[in-house]
Amino acid sequence: MIRNKSMRRASLVSAIVATGAMVLSTLPAQAATPGVTATEIKLGISSPLTGSAGLSYGKVPGAMKAYFNYINANGGVYGRKITLISRDDKYLPTAAATQTTNLILKDNVFALVGALGTATHSKAYKAAALAKNNVPDLFINTGFSGFTDQTKYPTTFMVLPTYAMEAKVIAKAIKDNFAGQASFLIAQDDEFGTDGVAGFKTAGHTFTLAPILYPQGSMTSARAEAALTGLSAVPGKPVVVLFGTTDVTATILKAAEKLALTTKFTWYAGSVGADANTLLALGVKPTTVNGVISASFMPDAKDLTDPYVKQFADINTKYNKGITFDNYVLAAMNSAMLTVQALRAAGKDLTRAGIMSAIEAKGSTFASAGLVPLGYSATSRIGYNGYWVSQLNEKGEGKPYGGKLVIYTTDSGAGAVEVSTFVRPTMPKNGIPTNS
Amino acid sequence: MLKGTQSKKRLVLFIAFGWALLILSNQVGDLKLYQGSFVATYALAITSIILLTGYSGQLSLGHSALMAVGAYAGALSIFNAGLNPIVSLIIAVLAAGTFGLILGVIAARLSGPYLAGTTLALAVSLPTLANQFSILGAEEGIVFDVGPAPARFGEDFSQYKWFFWISSLAALIMVWFIANLLSSRYGRTFKALRDNSIAAELSGINVGRVKVMAFALSSGVAGLSGALLVMLISGVSPSAFPLSLSFALLTGAVVTGLYNLKGVILGGLVLVAIPEIADSLVSRIGGSEGFTTTLPGFLVSALLILAVVFTPNGPGHLIKRKHHKQKVL
Amino acid sequence: MTQFITAVLTSLSSGAIYALMSIALVLVWRSTRVINFAQAGQAVLTTYIGYDLVQKTGSYWIALAGAVISGAIIGAVIDRFFMRPIFKRVKTGPIVMIAPVVATLGLLGIIQGLIGFKWGLTSQSIEAPVSTDGFKVMGTVIAFSRFNLLVLVFVSFAMLLLTLLFQRTNIGLALRASAYSPEIARLSGIKVDTVRTLGWAIAGASGGLAGMLYIPGYFLYPNAMDLLLVFGFVAAVIGGLESLFGAVAGAMILGFSINFATTYISGKLFFPTAFIVLVLVLLVKPAGLFGSKKSRGA
Repeated sequence: MIRNKSMRRASLVSAIVATGAMVLSTLPAQAATPGVTATEIKLGISSPLTGSAGLSYGKVPGAMKAYFNYINANGGVYGRKITLISRDDKYLPTAAATQTTNLILKDNVFALVGALGTATHSKAYKAAALAKNNVPDLFINTGFSGFTDQTKYPTTFMVLPTYAMEAKVIAKAIKDNFAGQASFLIAQDDEFGTDGVAGFKTAGHTFTLAPILYPQGSMTSARAEAALTGLSAVPGKPVVVLFGTTDVTATILKAAEKLALTTKFTWYAGSVGADANTLLALGVKPTTVNGVISASFMPDAKDLTDPYVKQFADINTKYNKGITFDNYVLAAMNSAMLTVQALRAAGKDLTRAGIMSAIEAKGSTFASAGLVPLGYSATSRIGYNGYWVSQLNEKGEGKPYGGKLVIYTTDSGAGAVEVSTFVRPTMPKNGIPTNS
Repeated sequence: MLKGTQSKKRLVLFIAFGWALLILSNQVGDLKLYQGSFVATYALAITSIILLTGYSGQLSLGHSALMAVGAYAGALSIFNAGLNPIVSLIIAVLAAGTFGLILGVIAARLSGPYLAGTTLALAVSLPTLANQFSILGAEEGIVFDVGPAPARFGEDFSQYKWFFWISSLAALIMVWFIANLLSSRYGRTFKALRDNSIAAELSGINVGRVKVMAFALSSGVAGLSGALLVMLISGVSPSAFPLSLSFALLTGAVVTGLYNLKGVILGGLVLVAIPEIADSLVSRIGGSEGFTTTLPGFLVSALLILAVVFTPNGPGHLIKRKHHKQKVL
Repeated sequence: MTQFITAVLTSLSSGAIYALMSIALVLVWRSTRVINFAQAGQAVLTTYIGYDLVQKTGSYWIALAGAVISGAIIGAVIDRFFMRPIFKRVKTGPIVMIAPVVATLGLLGIIQGLIGFKWGLTSQSIEAPVSTDGFKVMGTVIAFSRFNLLVLVFVSFAMLLLTLLFQRTNIGLALRASAYSPEIARLSGIKVDTVRTLGWAIAGASGGLAGMLYIPGYFLYPNAMDLLLVFGFVAAVIGGLESLFGAVAGAMILGFSINFATTYISGKLFFPTAFIVLVLVLLVKPAGLFGSKKSRGA
């Protein structure tokens, strides 16, 4: 009896071991790296698709998918197709935390791209244990300088210049062009605003009055009218800097129209709130938009003479049907192109650690539509580190201020704002990267 | 005598359920554990709504604000005062409860839509207050870090399992406490108040005081759920407690029965599961961008309406009514 | 001084806007004892219909008429096929108060979803029918335009017309009776259900008016009137929920308080002011400024 039992047990055990070995040997070789198989790379994005933030940023995932589909139709990355899984977080931290966790645990993505928002992403980063799982957090859609802190966010790579950088460039432009005039700042009372306020301070720029800060959602036409009435008493032609979202810029400009104050001020709209087409769509008069100064780090989406813009616009027509090509779509496709180059640079044996060191080593040489340099290095997670000053016109285009394109680079700290001689890399043929 | 066996039964039930959860937590993966933590947290929040509205008859649209009070209190006590996480949870309950006490004094004089309006205004204004005081961290908020699991559980002990244990335990203890309270004399007092405040007054109940108590208790429970919620998202910020959260909780409470606690877990499940189901449904159907992004919200609302139309008193009542109908015939 | 004048004028305009919504909410309350959170959604929906009409016909006034009429129809449909089944099933307990609230919240979500399906998520604008430039008074441009004046006129007109309807007509009496005491009204021969549908239709029409008067000064997107819903509701409660005059008064008080507080004290008081004013009013008068204890019912 005992002998039979132990024999039975032995045969059972060996059967299990044999099956196990068979199963293990048929697993794909990349089983160790989540989200990567011989034929597919899975990427994830958590961003607002609905709600008021969805108005501006809802187009981002679709635009990135369009570019990835274009690449997939042209061989993918070393034969692997890129799949982007998009989840709506409605700009809420609780939703961002759960959706990002879903992307990691449920969808098993290889890396995150384009995560959006400061309050949302800072919570999501920790909640989804991105640091612990070493999940690459690539090209995030926010300019909050806190994300460059590698002790807090070891796997994060920014792409947008920080709000502090923008403030410093604006401060220089005001000093260079409007030195004798008073200046005022109207900013959203959150990370845009406070990062920007800090940037102006670092640049040594003092506004004539303390910045007018408004909680998100509270800049009504009444409030705008009250603020402008107060400022209208200031002599000369003051500079008014608007650091908020496009709907707020529109509200303030429309209030200026009502009070016949459009020419009383020189308007400076921060890049987040200066999409000219949106301003026009929201009812701001073309004559008002004409002359508004802003800053950008990309070419204007309407400038089809730019090879990158033309290429992305073509991809948009073919792969993103029904969506109008604008600056948001341009920026999203640009990030997608950077992502593809990062995937290529990481090599055929794609790992999470591998892609991050690839960006550190080669990221600053990636081709992109950006007119300012990329700052990736072994010690820096900063993406674009500068701006060029633009001026909007009635047609919704942004052209270089003063007629000549001048590129400024700086940092988020006390470094000076310098003129850069950066020439961006030539676009790879047909917009399909071939780097390694 | 009856009360004695009932409360003993309840204690045994809760302990048994707790053990079941413990065993279950070792079987399931991280994702389910994370989702389970949210279920526990929302179930707790729904309990606070049932206590206030189902039992004492006061409608509040501002529970997101009460959760925020507890959350900030808890976060501050860990981050600024460096206190133990368990202590911070207790502080969350006390802070929110005290706030609710004050609020309750105001609310006791109000009824129906007046109370609803007041709590609504509270829900939209309280979160923005965080922007006023830099100690509250403004938009980036304050980190809420309960720390890793104790070393004796081993290095591989998942952070999500730790969250699950903490949130389930806290929820179990609090719900058990409230359940006991509601089946005691206090519970009957609440119910009397809800059903007919004039008659309650006549039978010697100090209506004002009871209302305030109910508010304070409900707020304390909400405060705990708020602290647990920010534990799960690793930090508190004003945008974590939007008005839509208040509405979602009310939805959960109505869908699973406003009048007793039996459905709270189901309510929590609904709040977690429905968006998930909607998301996976959408990814399977596909469609235009406009369609796929609005469909989940649409489905959640549709479910809510169906629930209200077909089971306004909760599924339990539906069954009871059927029996009643048959009896009458 | 200009700051003060601007504050007064913009408060008048804000107050008028809040009044648009608070009137609609009070209408539904007075005729059906329900707080209709879907009002924001209905008003946005009718405004989108108005937007389509503006695109097709180029005329704001046709669009306005279209919005008001479609508002009435949508309101009636919602009551007949949605609220009525709910009322049939829910008769007693605090659920009577809550079920409609929750149901209308669900309805709000559905309407916003439908808008998203049909019109997409990008924002649009509707041009105002009259000038939005400020009037010129003694050389300076003030913060009050023809369009602001138009809104004020419409609000006052709506308030008077609807008050007359409620106080002086048989229909108005039937509306009030059905809301206050449905059983007794039924016994006196009033078709309570039909009357209630009429109440929702009137409220829907007024919501349609509200949207078309609000959106030209703002932008059109599915959540465009969410904020207005909150402030409209607070204004209605301040005013007492019982009279349309109270609704307008409450709206004006709210508008003035918020504008003056944000102009003279701090911009950060935008939301907290609403809460503070509401609590102050309710502490002194728990039924709102013009509400009375006996009509509080339920």
